[in-house]
Amino acid sequence: MKKTVKFICLTIIFTVIFTALYGMEMVSTGRTPKMALGSQGEEVKSLQQRLKNWGYYAGDINGNYGLETLLAVKNFQTSWGMESSGVTDAKTMIEAGMGRFLQKDEVYAAATTDNVQLLARTINGEARGEPFEGQVAVGAVILNRVGDSRFPKTIAGVIYQPGAFTAVADGQINVAIDPKSTVVKAARDALNGWDPTEGCLYYWNPKTATSKWIWTRQIKRKIGRHNFGI
Amino acid sequence: MGVRAKLLDFKKRLSSGKMYSVVILLLGVVSIMGFWQYKKNMQLKQQLENQYYRAFYDMTGYVQNVESLLLKSMITTSPQKTATILQEASRQSNMAQENLGMLPVSQSVLGNTSKFLSQVGDISNSLNVQQIGGKKLSPEQYKSIESLHGFAVSLEDGLQQLQTDLAGGRIKWGQLTKTANTFFEKSSAAQNPATQGMENMSKTFQEYPKLIYDGPYSDHMISTKPRGLTGNDLSSEDLKKKVIDFFGSDKVQDVVETGKDDYSQIKTFSYNVTFKNLPKEQIANITMTVKGGSHYMMLYNRNVPNASVTMEQAKELGRKFLEAKGFTNMVDTYYLKEDNTAVINYAYKQDNVVVYSDLIKVKVALDNGEILGMESKAYLAAHMKRNIPVPKITMEKAKSQINAKMNLLSSGLAIIPTNYKTENFCYEFKGNINGKDFLVYINAENGREEDVLMIVNTPNGVLTI
Repeated sequence: MKKTVKFICLTIIFTVIFTALYGMEMVSTGRTPKMALGSQGEEVKSLQQRLKNWGYYAGDINGNYGLETLLAVKNFQTSWGMESSGVTDAKTMIEAGMGRFLQKDEVYAAATTDNVQLLARTINGEARGEPFEGQVAVGAVILNRVGDSRFPKTIAGVIYQPGAFTAVADGQINVAIDPKSTVVKAARDALNGWDPTEGCLYYWNPKTATSKWIWTRQIKRKIGRHNFGI
Repeated sequence: MGVRAKLLDFKKRLSSGKMYSVVILLLGVVSIMGFWQYKKNMQLKQQLENQYYRAFYDMTGYVQNVESLLLKSMITTSPQKTATILQEASRQSNMAQENLGMLPVSQSVLGNTSKFLSQVGDISNSLNVQQIGGKKLSPEQYKSIESLHGFAVSLEDGLQQLQTDLAGGRIKWGQLTKTANTFFEKSSAAQNPATQGMENMSKTFQEYPKLIYDGPYSDHMISTKPRGLTGNDLSSEDLKKKVIDFFGSDKVQDVVETGKDDYSQIKTFSYNVTFKNLPKEQIANITMTVKGGSHYMMLYNRNVPNASVTMEQAKELGRKFLEAKGFTNMVDTYYLKEDNTAVINYAYKQDNVVVYSDLIKVKVALDNGEILGMESKAYLAAHMKRNIPVPKITMEKAKSQINAKMNLLSSGLAIIPTNYKTENFCYEFKGNINGKDFLVYINAENGREEDVLMIVNTPNGVLTI
């Protein structure tokens, strides 16, 4: 009986510690969330654009946190009931709808090229164990479909077309992958115009393909385990 | 026997173990049904979520297009060109709005975004009508486009953030109702509520932004007879020898034929190449044309750990490589740098006229300058020696056509392909407005403003939209 009590106590303690740590991690992942006089870069540009939209700022969108920007920030802070410091801290950024810049660098980097990510995730789900050429080929098939009048007109449209890809049906497509992975390189090559399939619109694994119809397609290339056809 | 007695009897039989099998069977059936229901439920949920993702990604793409189109409309000077650009902007914002409506986000949250998009659509549409009539934009109209563009930039920004959060799992679709759209709540874009006529919707298709990656003029596809291929048909054995020459016989271990394409306009053979002193998995793929044995495509995936070659050196290496393979008079145009490799676009140049139809892409490793890839489909399809006429319009006349606010950086002559498989002979002007670089193409034969492109200078390269 004593043992059970001890066990329960330990479990509770661990849970509490874990939750606390996890919670802390969520808070402390930010970058230096501050912009002040003299700051430069994309973040400043984004801030200036927002202030300009809302009529606080009249200067150029040049990415330099100058005096004019400082005054605009002060005005903005006053109208939104914050301390009018002229320094864009985390709170000001959230008020201005710029929470994105408070997040981890890597995630931000991963999302900047959305088409690459989307394509890479599909390649990851569909052709993970395939040779590099086969991965580029899967990406190229998706892009060929975008250009073909029988398929949707956008990359997302083609990828999420119901029943088109198994990696989509089970949801693994929606999970971000490492920007350094080979599938990302394959996705980039496909987007840059490399097409090992010569305009193919379909591919299938001859060992697992269940559709009879797919075999009526003209096979153009065989790369790795996949047949590519039109 | 009363109910109570029956229950007691049931309990007695249960405890004596006679009915265990029945109970277990029932439990089994119920749990299987439960599991089946659960799976079905999850499947449906996934399907629904996928449709949300699709609508969301599509919408982001359309908003990006709207943003760059609005910017371009402020650069163009001829009413006809402005009209086409605004019409496209109106169409794209309708598509964005349509996709917005598919998201599981309440009207109260996305109302302003939706309103903004219909405003862009309506304003573009009405200005388009005015432009077709040949009237130029007034200063006020200029201002309103400029402010719409400002909102579009911020909207793009906000969508990017949502995308990051969705991909990172920080936001689930169910929560979106609470977090979306902080970019509009500080002010309303304008007062009049927009009309949301059904006729505005689904007018046509989206131009997907692969131009961003690809250089502006590589989209014209090959369905016509390839013009750039000359020579006799070669056998696979002949081509194999050419492949070995391509990489150098001292380096190549083995060449294996992997496929043959007899069905396309350009007939090809494909090969896998392995190298001496390198792991077997590290292969290069190369595709050669049957006719003339030209290098159609090459892809060699290897890890490039660092960059010591500069962009200028890489451009020169790529040019020399092309020259050695028989592609002469090629000049570099746009490039993209990623993972310590550079993808450089080269265009053919004849008598000081850049021919953007004849494109070749070369991939250079920035650690040792090795060529990691090439792609010459567009070149092989379009290349020929052209009869370039003398321009009917003088450079000065053409220059007067471009936006007076533009700060001219360079000018020249170019041939650009159209979507209709024809080519236009143009003056190419590169200039700068409000800190952004643009390319403007004025037809050298009739003075028409043919195209406006925005140049994006990023740390990763020079791209155009």
